[in-house]
Amino acid sequence: MRIKRITDNILDTMFYLSGLFNLILNAFKNLPSLRITPVRTVFFRQIYFAGIETLGKMVIIGLLIGIVIISQITSLVGVGRGELIGKILVWVVIRELGPLFAAIVVIARSVTAISAELGSMNVQGEIASIEMMGIDPERYLIMPRITALTLSAVMLTFYFELAAILGGITVTSIFWGIPFEQHTTGMLTSLTIAELSASLVKSLLFGVVIAAVSCSQGLKVSGSITRIPQATTKATMQSLFFVFIFDGIITLIFFL
Amino acid sequence: MITLECASLKGFLDCASLAVSKGRVCAVLTETEFEKDLLLRIFTGLTRLDSGRIFLFGKEMSSLSSGELNGYRKRIGIVLNNGGLISNLKVRENIMLPLSYHSSSHYDADEKMTTILDKIGYDDDVAALPGPLPAYQKRLAGFARAVLMEPDLVIYDSVFDGLSPDIRGKVLETITAFHHEKEGRASLFLDMDEGLLNYIRADDIYILKKGKFYERN
Repeated sequence: MRIKRITDNILDTMFYLSGLFNLILNAFKNLPSLRITPVRTVFFRQIYFAGIETLGKMVIIGLLIGIVIISQITSLVGVGRGELIGKILVWVVIRELGPLFAAIVVIARSVTAISAELGSMNVQGEIASIEMMGIDPERYLIMPRITALTLSAVMLTFYFELAAILGGITVTSIFWGIPFEQHTTGMLTSLTIAELSASLVKSLLFGVVIAAVSCSQGLKVSGSITRIPQATTKATMQSLFFVFIFDGIITLIFFL
Repeated sequence: MITLECASLKGFLDCASLAVSKGRVCAVLTETEFEKDLLLRIFTGLTRLDSGRIFLFGKEMSSLSSGELNGYRKRIGIVLNNGGLISNLKVRENIMLPLSYHSSSHYDADEKMTTILDKIGYDDDVAALPGPLPAYQKRLAGFARAVLMEPDLVIYDSVFDGLSPDIRGKVLETITAFHHEKEGRASLFLDMDEGLLNYIRADDIYILKKGKFYERN
C-alpha cells in the first residue's frame, strides 16, 4: 500500500515535470507567433507588468542590498581593502544575489497574477471560448507569458546588479573614503565571462521555470473559483523551490 | 457541414446521428444545459467521442491535427449564451480578437463592427471591459465577434434567452439577414427551450433524448 503510494507520487511528479517541459518546449516552438498582433499585445502587456512596472522597486532594492553587503564586507575586511571589497561585491551580487532577488521579485509580483488570471479564465470558460475561435491557447496565452517573464527576469537581474554595485561603491566612497578606482580594479579583475554567463543563465532559467509553473498551475484550475487561491499558493511555493534547486545546480556547474 | 455518425459518449450520447447541411437552419433541443454545453464542445472538437465519427466540413475530426482543427474552427462562428468574452480585454478587443488573430488584413473591420453592433442594438461602450455589462449585452458583443469572421456555419447557444422582445426582434432580423448573406451558410441553434421554434424557421429540428437525436417535422 505504502509502496504504491510512493510509486504514484513519483509518477505524478514525473508527469507534472514532463508537462512543464512540454509547456516550455511549445512556447519556444511558438515564438514565431509573436508576429500575430493579439499575441504581441499580450507579450507587451506582460513585459510592462512584470518588467517595467517593477523596475523602480527593483533598483531601490538593489541599491539597499548593495549598501548592506558592502557595509558588512568593509566591516569584515577593513577599510583599506578596496580591491577585495570590489571582488567580493562581484561574487556575491553577480553570481548569486542578482538572479536570486530578481527571481523572488518576479515570483512575488507575477506568479500569483498569472496563475490567478489563467485559473479564472479556465473556470469561466474563457479558454474554451478562445479554443472554439480556432485560437491556440498555448500560442495566445502561454507563449507570450513565458517569453515576457523570462525577458523580464533577465532585465530585472541586470538592473538589480547595476544598482547594487553602484550603490555599494558610492556608499563606501562617501562614508569610508575608499577611492572609486580601487573598487573598479577589484571588480574588473574578478568579473569574468563565467560570472556574467552564470548570472545570465540563472536569470533566463529562473524566468522560464517561474513562468511555466505559474501557467501550468493556472491551467490546472477547474470547477470552482475557490480553487484559484490554492493554485496561486502552489505556484508560488513550487517556483521558489525550483529557483533554489536550479540556483544550486548552476552554481555547482559553473564554479565547482 | 457537421455530421455525427453513430456518435457515442458515455452517459451522454448513444450511437446518435445528426447532420447540419449547407445552407440549412437547424435547431437542436436538449433537456439540460449540461447536454447543450457538451454538444457544443463535441461540435468544436473540445470533447472527443468514445466511438463513432464526427465530420467537420467533410473531414473526419479525429484525423485532423490541432493546427488543421483550428483552421476549421475559424470557419465556425459561435455565439455563446454568456458571450464568452475575455474579461481582461475591452469589448472592442474581444470583438476583433479572432479577426486580428487569423487575418492580417482587416482594414474595414472597425466599420463592420460598428454596423453590426448598431443593427443588433448594442448600446454600451466598446472601450470598456466586459465585466459590468449585462448578460445580454455580452451576448450581443459575442454575436458581433462571431459574425465579423464571416463564418460558413454559425452555432447559436440559447441566443434568444432573456432578450427583450425589441432586442430579440433586432437580433433575429440580423441573424436571418446574415444567414442569407452568403450562399450555403448554415445556422445551428442549440437550446433547451422549445420557445426557440417560435422565433426561427428551422429546416431541421432535432431533439436529444436518452442519448439519441430524434428528428421532428
